[in-house]
Amino acid sequence: MQPILNNFLGKWVYPTGFTGPGVDFRLRQTERCLPLWDKLVTQAIQIAEKDLKSGSDEYKAVRARAGYAAEGPFMSLKQMSTQIVSVTIDEQSKYIDLQRMRARQIWDEVKHGQLHADVLLRGGWITREEELMDDPRANTQPKLSYFGMTQMFPHIHPLARAGQHYYNESMACLGIAATLSVIDDDFVRHQLRSQEAEELMHFMEGKYQIDAYALTPEEQKPIEEVFDFLLRPWASEPSRALGGSK
Amino acid sequence: MCYVVCREININAVVVSPTPQHLLEIDDRCTYPKCTVCLMYCPAEGSIVEADTGRSLVPPPPEVWTENLSWPRQP
Repeated sequence: MQPILNNFLGKWVYPTGFTGPGVDFRLRQTERCLPLWDKLVTQAIQIAEKDLKSGSDEYKAVRARAGYAAEGPFMSLKQMSTQIVSVTIDEQSKYIDLQRMRARQIWDEVKHGQLHADVLLRGGWITREEELMDDPRANTQPKLSYFGMTQMFPHIHPLARAGQHYYNESMACLGIAATLSVIDDDFVRHQLRSQEAEELMHFMEGKYQIDAYALTPEEQKPIEEVFDFLLRPWASEPSRALGGSK
Repeated sequence: MCYVVCREININAVVVSPTPQHLLEIDDRCTYPKCTVCLMYCPAEGSIVEADTGRSLVPPPPEVWTENLSWPRQP
C-alpha cells in the first residue's frame, strides 16, 4: 500500500466518532475503495513526475483549466445545488447538520475555482478570468461519476451524495497529497495547499453522513448503490455524451 | 477553520474564534471529554486544542477515538 494512503487511513478514515451500523457499513465500503484509492495515489505520483519531466510550464495551465472545469462556477453551482435540493423542505430538520456542511461546501468549491483561475492569471496564460468562459478545456467535465451522477442525487435519496463524498473527495485528498510529494512549484503548491483542508472536510462530510445517518438497510441501500456505480471501471472515464474526447 | 456540527446540541460544535484555532467548549451543553464525536470529523490539523494541555486534537489521538469514547455509548 502507498504510504500516503496508509497515512490517510490512520489519520482520517479509521478514527470514528460513532459506534453502530453506520460505522460498520462505512468500513465495509472502505474495503471496496482501498484498491482504487491505492491506484489513484500511484497514478497521481506518476502523472506529477511526468509533468516535471515535460520541460515546460504548460502542465500547470492544463491542470488549472481542468480544475476550473471541475470546480469553477458552472460545476460548483450545479453540483452543490443538487446536493442541497436532495433534501426536501420537510426533511430539513432531520438532516440539518448535513445541510449545514453541504451549504458551506458551496463556498469552498467556488473558492477552488478561483484558485485555478489565479494560477492561469498569475502565470500569464490569461489576462481576465472571463476568457475561460470561451475555452472548452476550462468548462468540460465529462465524467459520468461526477457530472452525470451529481445531477441524479435529488432523484435518489438525501444520503446518496454521501457515497460520492466519501469515494471522490478522498481521492481529491489523496491526489493532492501525492502531487505535493512530487511537485515543488509555487503556483501548484499554493493552489493545492489552499484547498487541501477543505477537500478533507468534504471527505469528512461523507464519513459523518454515513456514520451518523446510514443506520438501516433502507438508508444504506442508496449509498451502497452509489459505491456500486463509482466502482465500475468505466464510471470515471470521460464520456463522449458529456463532451469527453476519449 | 473547523466546520464540524454537533447533532447532540444542535448547533455548530466549535466556536469561530478570532484566532486561527478553535476552542472546544462552546456551549454548556457540550459534554467534552465525555463526548468526542466532533473530533473525528474536523479536517484542519491543530484547529482544536485541548484547553488544559494545549495539544492538538486534530487528527484525533488514539485515546479519544477508541470505541468506549464513541457516541452513542455501547451498553
